Amino acid sequence: MFEKSLYDLIRGLRNHKGNEKEYIQNCLKECRSEIRNQDMDVKATALLKLIYLEMVGHDMSWASFHVLEVMSSPKYHQKRVGYLGAVQSFRPDTEVLMLATNLLKKDLSATAPTIISLPIGALPHIITPSLALSVLPDLLPRLSHSHPSIRKKTIVTLYRLALVYPETLRAAWPKIKERLMDKGEDPSVTAAIINVVCELGWRRPSDFLPLAPRLFELLVEGSNNWMAIKLIKLFATLTPLEPRLVRKLLPPLTDLIRTTPAMSLLYECINGIIQGGILGDGENFNETEEIASLCVSKLRGMISVGGDPNLKYVALLAFNRIVVTHPFLVAQQEDVILECIDSEDITIRIKALDLVQGMVSSDNLVSIVSRLMRQLKSSSSLDQQGGLQKQDHETDSSDETNGGTGRKKKSREQPAPLPEDYTVDVIGRILYMCSQDNYSSLLDFDWYLDVLTQLVRIAPAPRAKDLDPETSTQAKYLTADISEKVGNEIRNVAVKVEAVRSAALQAAELIITRLFRVTSESAASHLAVSGALKPVAFIAGEYPFQLSSPDDTLGHLLHLLPRIKNPEILATCLQAVTKLFAFVAGDDRAPWTTERKSSMSLLMARVVHVLEPLALHPSLEVQERAVEFIELLKLTAEAASGQAPSTDELHQDPPLLLTQAIPSMFNGWQLKSVSYGAQRNVPMPEGLDLDEPIHPNLGNLLAQADSLMLPIQDDDEFEAYYNNKPPATSISSEPAILRLADAPEEVSSSYQQAGEESYLDADIVARRKAERMERNRDDPFYILESGRSGGTSTPIHNILQKENGPDLDIDSIPIMKLDLADIDAGLGSSGKLQTQRPLSAALSRPKPRQKVIVAADESLGGSGPSTPRYDSENNSDTFAKSRAKKLKQSLLQVDSSHLNTLDLDASTGSSHLGGSAYDPEKQQQDEAEMAQAMKEVQRLRLEMQRAKERIHVAHGVPAEGIVVKRKKTKKAAKAEGDEEAGGGDGGEAATKVKKKKKPVVVAEEGREGEGVVKAKKKVKKAVEVEEN
Amino acid sequence: MINAFLVFNGQGQPRLTKFYTQLDTSIQQRLISEIYTLVSNRPAGSCNFLPLPPLLAASGTSQSASQPHNDVPSLVTYRCYATLSFIVISTSTESPLALIDLIQVYVEALDRLFENVCELDLIFNFETLHATLGEMIVGGVVIDTNTDRIVQGVRAQGTVAKRPVNEGRGAGLGSGLGMGGNFVWHGR
Repeated sequence: MFEKSLYDLIRGLRNHKGNEKEYIQNCLKECRSEIRNQDMDVKATALLKLIYLEMVGHDMSWASFHVLEVMSSPKYHQKRVGYLGAVQSFRPDTEVLMLATNLLKKDLSATAPTIISLPIGALPHIITPSLALSVLPDLLPRLSHSHPSIRKKTIVTLYRLALVYPETLRAAWPKIKERLMDKGEDPSVTAAIINVVCELGWRRPSDFLPLAPRLFELLVEGSNNWMAIKLIKLFATLTPLEPRLVRKLLPPLTDLIRTTPAMSLLYECINGIIQGGILGDGENFNETEEIASLCVSKLRGMISVGGDPNLKYVALLAFNRIVVTHPFLVAQQEDVILECIDSEDITIRIKALDLVQGMVSSDNLVSIVSRLMRQLKSSSSLDQQGGLQKQDHETDSSDETNGGTGRKKKSREQPAPLPEDYTVDVIGRILYMCSQDNYSSLLDFDWYLDVLTQLVRIAPAPRAKDLDPETSTQAKYLTADISEKVGNEIRNVAVKVEAVRSAALQAAELIITRLFRVTSESAASHLAVSGALKPVAFIAGEYPFQLSSPDDTLGHLLHLLPRIKNPEILATCLQAVTKLFAFVAGDDRAPWTTERKSSMSLLMARVVHVLEPLALHPSLEVQERAVEFIELLKLTAEAASGQAPSTDELHQDPPLLLTQAIPSMFNGWQLKSVSYGAQRNVPMPEGLDLDEPIHPNLGNLLAQADSLMLPIQDDDEFEAYYNNKPPATSISSEPAILRLADAPEEVSSSYQQAGEESYLDADIVARRKAERMERNRDDPFYILESGRSGGTSTPIHNILQKENGPDLDIDSIPIMKLDLADIDAGLGSSGKLQTQRPLSAALSRPKPRQKVIVAADESLGGSGPSTPRYDSENNSDTFAKSRAKKLKQSLLQVDSSHLNTLDLDASTGSSHLGGSAYDPEKQQQDEAEMAQAMKEVQRLRLEMQRAKERIHVAHGVPAEGIVVKRKKTKKAAKAEGDEEAGGGDGGEAATKVKKKKKPVVVAEEGREGEGVVKAKKKVKKAVEVEEN
Repeated sequence: MINAFLVFNGQGQPRLTKFYTQLDTSIQQRLISEIYTLVSNRPAGSCNFLPLPPLLAASGTSQSASQPHNDVPSLVTYRCYATLSFIVISTSTESPLALIDLIQVYVEALDRLFENVCELDLIFNFETLHATLGEMIVGGVVIDTNTDRIVQGVRAQGTVAKRPVNEGRGAGLGSGLGMGGNFVWHGR
């Protein structure tokens, strides 16, 4: 008798800070029993509480039947709660919905406008095609209800009906149109109609062209800014169909732009002009020049610094639309747009990025990418501090009321998703901008490689674990994806641009070395290996002769192999290791000395040791490769140990297996980049039948293989050797200083390349400088210091010395004279144009395009698409494809595609609809069948229950008796809705239901028989129990 | 059209959730918390539009950002009043600046109904919140933007409960709302 009211519940929540969870569970329990109460007041209150808890995140789908009960209450305030419950808690799979049809119909024809509003407001949330069909006759008359608010709501609800059941419009459109044309109609109703027409308009603009005069009239009257906005949006979809509208529209639009005090209307005018194609194309541009310049200057004013951020955002939105058709108009505004890239506000940044991506050219590529790189670099260095602050913030905010605790915990463990998403997004865009049109905007590949190397470091590491399995796969996919994409770019450059291949390989080496260092520093094995490793390892294996130190690279890869989790990366790395080994070991000119023999057998032992665990890897691809290479290496090791080393007297050749056989496996044709989709052009070989079984008795064979016991190889010797002391030094020859801390960043910034240092890591910059020195060694304008550098070396110097030999000291190199004209002339005449980078920031002349040949993708036949795409690998990925398909329909999306098939012109309508795949009649029938079946189940359940209660029961109770009895049983309440649906049919509805029943009569009878038998059994059991 | 209308407070606790499509409760909650994260990380003086939260972005942003499909929710507008954030998720057929005004109209209507509305009013009268929204938006389409008519429509459904007397008054939302401030685009 002391049930909590909603008020009590909320107060209770506020008084139970800290243990809301427990409190809510208790409340839910109470609600569960209260909602079964006979008293409608108690029931409604419980429902209201449940709705409140649903908002906080507690599922109430179990209560859907009770929602129906409350909906059918005669009292308005209870009914309202019921309808609210339906709106908030019914989902597509809520089965009781079909029982509500009659209730909805009844309420739709109620007299009180407040009651009529309830079903009208709720229908859009719960509508299904069959429901639409059955409520349509009741809804249509409401279009002429005396109350304007009912008319408005009805119009919108009819629109939502039409989305799932397009036939609605055929009946409703003439009436809606009549309302629209009626000048005496309430202006707010007209506005609502315009809103609906605007939603419909973009789907089938041609249907609404006849309305243009009336719409124009409404626009000129200009009573309501909200409506004017929608009208302009509507006209923007109409003008492409009817170019004559443009001339008519221009005067009022120009007038509005010049006079309106409302910024939103001004913006929509401009936007409408853009979207409606009124800006004009090439031919009649002069005509509309005035309006175009007016628009663009207004937009520029919105964007310019210091303005309102909202205006900035919408102006960027508008520019994003213009850039598709009029890139030159946008290019004029490059200065203000580029400013937006550095905006504090991430929304504005992203929009600016969208825009910039469309206007990138060889002139501005470097400056745009530099801007972005600087952002990424600074944000990645702030990461650690950011983490701390965030936690403080979270703990501060953990007061206040109800139920949020669970979620709060979640957000504390999870870093804010924004920065990472943004980083990934920006990296993707940089790659896209640089690589578009087969690298046509890119002048300087060395610079690009440096940027890529830096990006691999910036790219967010794949997160080890996530809370939700679904998000975690998604997030992992995204992040692993992006560093792999960066790596793919390095690989693409290495494969396609032969001129910079060695630079690409050095970049690859750098990445591998860094990964090696990171993993060996932190003992934690959970550290996921960057996705960039896969393509990078691939090129290392493919072009080992370009590596500065193949030995070290091999050593690093061997070190990394056991830490790789992803089987795809692992498989590629396995292959790369073997290729590298073939290169390192396969030198047939070097004499077969004792040292070589021992170092080779050590190396082979190490490789085999690393590969051996992988022979049991769950991924078949990895397993197969590992097994193959292990066997091959064991064989080779045997051969090597059998071959006596050559002495002074006796010359011995190295084993042929090592120098000939293994390298010959990998030294074949050079790889070329193959166009995306070329595979599809490969003709199918004749006689290929993929359905043919490989072996008639495959199952048996496999079973045999299973029972086969393989003796486990016992190589304790190696095991012990490697476990005692990992001989990292025996292979890698890097100086110890490299294993110290990373190079400090206090490199004095040079007057050259001042910009790059702000976004490239110090060691990358240093490497660049060193490269440049190397290149300029023969340049008369540089003087190299002949003496050795002094003892004051920083770690940076060490790196340089390691890579370039000890005789280079960049900082001490004086530049004698900078005469750029001479350099250009000299280089030009020599015909061998090297990369010429700007030596001073003041250099403003256009850079000559680096004369490198970017190999085009190869393709077969030429029928297939041959445009290169930077993410072609991922496109071929079936996972990506299926994911894309799944996400095609966005989360909150209301699909209006059904409307496409509907023609409002009634005369041709039926033929149109006949061809559509969607068949409401069929679905209708199915659902009716389903309803019938459900009823049947319900009936049988009640029958059984009744049988239990009454001990002595006659066989074959007449079905009619049940209905009467049901009311008295405890379950009566539950059955009420059922009854309403089944028994309450009146007038036309009843005949419809009867019609629907026909096809299921047979099935019904069958079921009945079954049910009776079952019921009898139950009865027997019940009797037995009684007797005991 | 409008896909969802949400209200939550400074701690991310929902005060009103209205989705114009049917969505699982758990997904609703995830979306709310994603948007809350976005809103709470906004620097001062940024615009009233959010980047798409990850749940929605998955299908939207990538390639065809310049030509979004009109059915796909592509715009998240928010506006903060004192302790509350009001969110509208919509497709590209809505005008961004008008949506900012729409939120303003909603808050003004609430203010009229509750007389100097504050968060407590909304907590204890969430039924009225739904009713008010129902007078403005039906099925994702705006039906009215006139405060008088909206208030009238809500009052016609019954008396609006006054806030409980013994609850302490929090910071008045209304006073902190900056009603009719510098944000009015359409110059009503």
